Amino acid sequence: MGMQGDFYQLLKEQGYVFGVPGQAGAGQELTTATTILAFKYRDGVLVAGDRRATAGNMVMYDRTDKVLEIDRHSVMAIAGVPATAYEMARILEHSFKYYRRTQLQELSFEGKLRALSKLLKDNVAAALAGTGAVVPIFAGYDAEQETAKIYFYDILGAEFEGVEYAVSGSGSPTIRGILHYLNTWGEQPLSAMPEGLATIHALRLLTSAAEFDSATGGVNRDAGLYPVIKFITAGGVRTMPDPQLRSLFEANVSRSL
Amino acid sequence: MYEEPYRWVEAVGNRRQYLDEQFKQGSPVVGVAYETGILLMTMNKGTPKLYEVYDRLGLGGMGHPADLEKLRFNLLEMAHVEGFNRSPSDVTGGRLVKYGIAPVIKQAFEEVFKAPFIVKILLVELGQKSGKDSFLTINYDGTFEEKSRYAVLAASSAIEQEMTAYLKQQPIASLEEAIGSAIRTLALGDRAQRHALEEGGEHGDVRTGSDQQPVDSETLYAHMRQCLADKTIECALLDRQMQGPTKYRTISLDELGKVLPGHLVTPLT
Repeated sequence: MGMQGDFYQLLKEQGYVFGVPGQAGAGQELTTATTILAFKYRDGVLVAGDRRATAGNMVMYDRTDKVLEIDRHSVMAIAGVPATAYEMARILEHSFKYYRRTQLQELSFEGKLRALSKLLKDNVAAALAGTGAVVPIFAGYDAEQETAKIYFYDILGAEFEGVEYAVSGSGSPTIRGILHYLNTWGEQPLSAMPEGLATIHALRLLTSAAEFDSATGGVNRDAGLYPVIKFITAGGVRTMPDPQLRSLFEANVSRSL
Repeated sequence: MYEEPYRWVEAVGNRRQYLDEQFKQGSPVVGVAYETGILLMTMNKGTPKLYEVYDRLGLGGMGHPADLEKLRFNLLEMAHVEGFNRSPSDVTGGRLVKYGIAPVIKQAFEEVFKAPFIVKILLVELGQKSGKDSFLTINYDGTFEEKSRYAVLAASSAIEQEMTAYLKQQPIASLEEAIGSAIRTLALGDRAQRHALEEGGEHGDVRTGSDQQPVDSETLYAHMRQCLADKTIECALLDRQMQGPTKYRTISLDELGKVLPGHLVTPLT
């Protein structure tokens, strides 16, 4: 018998096999690439992601949602191969629900972190073969410690806490430096920023990433395409609606006016 | 000794008697649909009897806690594996009951050399729109019934009928009305069960109604106050207005206190 309330174990017992075999498709151009970021602001954690999916130098899709709400208090932002990442998100979503409903208590924040780590570990063969590499950020509200937290992972499943911020994806090197600069020598540290200002910075960061990384989609005002930005606070996960993103962008990011 | 057919029929008959006896002390369960959701209510002595099964599915049970737990896990496994492999909208109460647990309960009931499940189950499913809700009850022998506005579990089918007849007359639109009606129906059922116990002796569903007299609300609330000396009200909602896919939530006593009739609040808190 497996661990009590373990949905992933239950799936396996029913014959489910996770991921793609390591060799399949190696050498093909796979759908990948992204910029995702998360940082702590005054009320909790902000998680943001652009919306472009590419295969090699081709843009596949411009409406990808890379910031996925796993439950009311946690979010997984994905960088890497979407097929594997979405599958992981779906397993996590059902695992947390299944745990809560069978055990009649919420899975601890640490338990949630481990669950994602386990999935990444089971995906190592595919990740090393280049067919299923996923480098996620996991952020959520830790009810025990009464604070929102950020974790980032490598493809082998190691988890690291992003004490102030975390970035991932092909566009991330650009904004990692900006985040460091902003947090250290900006007018105020990221963790002191109110929601509006934090959102403005997230939009500027993603726009910068798109400037230097062809695989990161920026803002497309004609099509009304803005990044996905979510906030995690004690009250749960909330998404910033597009009209608000538009007005913040037009007033504070675009200089064409 | 049960090899011959008539012996088997006799054994199943004995089993019914035995099982009917097991439910006499239990608290009834009430499920009613109101405008924006479904209310589930029962009483317990510390162990919960209402559970979340899936995004839009809730469960109430009577009987042996270990049996209820086993079937609840069966339902949870089926629902989650189905929801993951297909889609959450393919997880329906009807399928879970008809192809899932009803056959399991029936088989256990008829295998007279093994122990039966000592449970009655109420599975409620919140529809996408109001009026599309469904209520499924499963008896200890695996027979199930489907209704659309309300359903109850009680010690005997006579008492269940009495309770549903009462519920049928209640105007239920708001949550407040649903809570009031559920409390009175619960009290009505509990009262009938106690009467049946006192008269005792006779097996089966001998009694119907409290001398066929309609019971007034005051009497029912007074009875409920009595019950609350050693039990607490347990209450859960499938709330269509809740954000996100999960619609199940429990109602705390504090929250219940705010919508309860004034004279019931005091003994609750």
